[in-house]
Amino acid sequence: MGFLWHEVRAAIPLIFSSDDYILSVAWVTIKVALVSTAIALVIGLPIGLTIGLGRFRGRRALHILANASLALPPIIAGLVVLLLVQPAGAFGSLHIAYTLSAVYVAQTVLALPYIVALTPAAIQGLPPQLIAQARAFGAGRVQLSLLALREAKIGVLAAVIAAFGGALAEVGAVVIVGGNIQNYDQTLASAILQQINDYADYPYAVGLGLVLSALILVLIGLLTVLQQRTSGIHLRFRVG
Amino acid sequence: MGLLWSELRDAVPLIFHGNPYLLSVIWFTVQVALIATATAAVIGLPIGLTIGLGRFRGRATLQAIANATLGLPPVLVGLFLFLILVPEGPLGGLHLTVTRRAVFIAQAILALPYVIALSAAAVQGLGSGLIDQARLLGAGRLQLYVLALREARIGVIAALIAALGTALSEVGAIVIVGGNVYGYDQTLASAALYEANAARYADAVAIGIVLTGVILAMMGGLGFLQHQGGGIRLRPRAET
Repeated sequence: MGFLWHEVRAAIPLIFSSDDYILSVAWVTIKVALVSTAIALVIGLPIGLTIGLGRFRGRRALHILANASLALPPIIAGLVVLLLVQPAGAFGSLHIAYTLSAVYVAQTVLALPYIVALTPAAIQGLPPQLIAQARAFGAGRVQLSLLALREAKIGVLAAVIAAFGGALAEVGAVVIVGGNIQNYDQTLASAILQQINDYADYPYAVGLGLVLSALILVLIGLLTVLQQRTSGIHLRFRVG
Repeated sequence: MGLLWSELRDAVPLIFHGNPYLLSVIWFTVQVALIATATAAVIGLPIGLTIGLGRFRGRATLQAIANATLGLPPVLVGLFLFLILVPEGPLGGLHLTVTRRAVFIAQAILALPYVIALSAAAVQGLGSGLIDQARLLGAGRLQLYVLALREARIGVIAALIAALGTALSEVGAIVIVGGNVYGYDQTLASAALYEANAARYADAVAIGIVLTGVILAMMGGLGFLQHQGGGIRLRPRAET
């Protein structure tokens, strides 16, 4: 283990070195994960709630579709986003190919399936009488959604954790849409890839890897604590 | 949709051209997916069953650790494996970096957490009455495992589907340990990355379409087995 140990020892000073390279990449990574998960929540929760609570034809088909989208390879998602935002593509006028904005878009696209597929699964795990009773008492759609969200909190937060974890760790789409440009649109994961494959700089790669592990432990740990606190967030159910 | 559409149109003939490069990448991808999933199943199922059925102290902790490894970023797995396999590393004598074998190993390691964590969860989801009764009737450990595997078949196959999905579409680890060498140790996913980075979009799209087809075929095949009512019967031998 001498070699591994040597690389780790060489890596630690690099994390705190004055050029701030590793910490600035870490900051980009946190921003990308937070923003993409937040946008995916805003778009995905209403869809997930509709699939989970709705009583319309084709609901099962939609849920199957949502589950299938979980298996979407990041590479393919990245490729489609890139071709759409290329100058000649449909959204070419936005000029975001190979920019940080494209990375946000790609990671949001990848976070969305977790929210859309896992939220209805969590809601369907609730006792059906609960929802039926709320309906019988005349709860409106918004009230019903808030009730379901509160009751299925553990499952919904599991969806958020999965989406957030994906955004922190994923490289395939980030590298395709962003071009993995150093100090600009790299995340920790894609920077590791570059340090090994392009520069064969092992200490930097290990330093980035240590910071990525620490980030995942801390951020996912915090979300898990939030999830497990039974009396955590209360989305208040307005009756009157 | 101009660019996406024109690349799609350019891509389709590339697929049906009988291109030997594409065929060899497809074949390698199928090999990697099958070998990685099979290896992960052989190693992971006994561990998952032990965690799921065992009655020893620390079982819950092991399940928590297994769940946590699901969030392990492939890039970190790749980095760690790479540092072990480089010539200076502890297993450098095996000369595995930038070889196909390293790709098999990396994907098997990434598939393992899915098999362990999800098969343990599936087995725990069985009614405890069933397992208790089998124990009471004097089932040995092996008989108990076979019974649990058969009864939790749907969940266990779901674990294998998840493992297969990673093996087919993950790029982070194999690009680091395999180096993404054109025509040698590329899977369809890493080949698509390679072509997209080289701005050969039609080739990337062609590979992406083939990858989607391979994923649908292989995961669909497993999904079919999963829902066959009287499908595979792992017969528990009652009399020995």
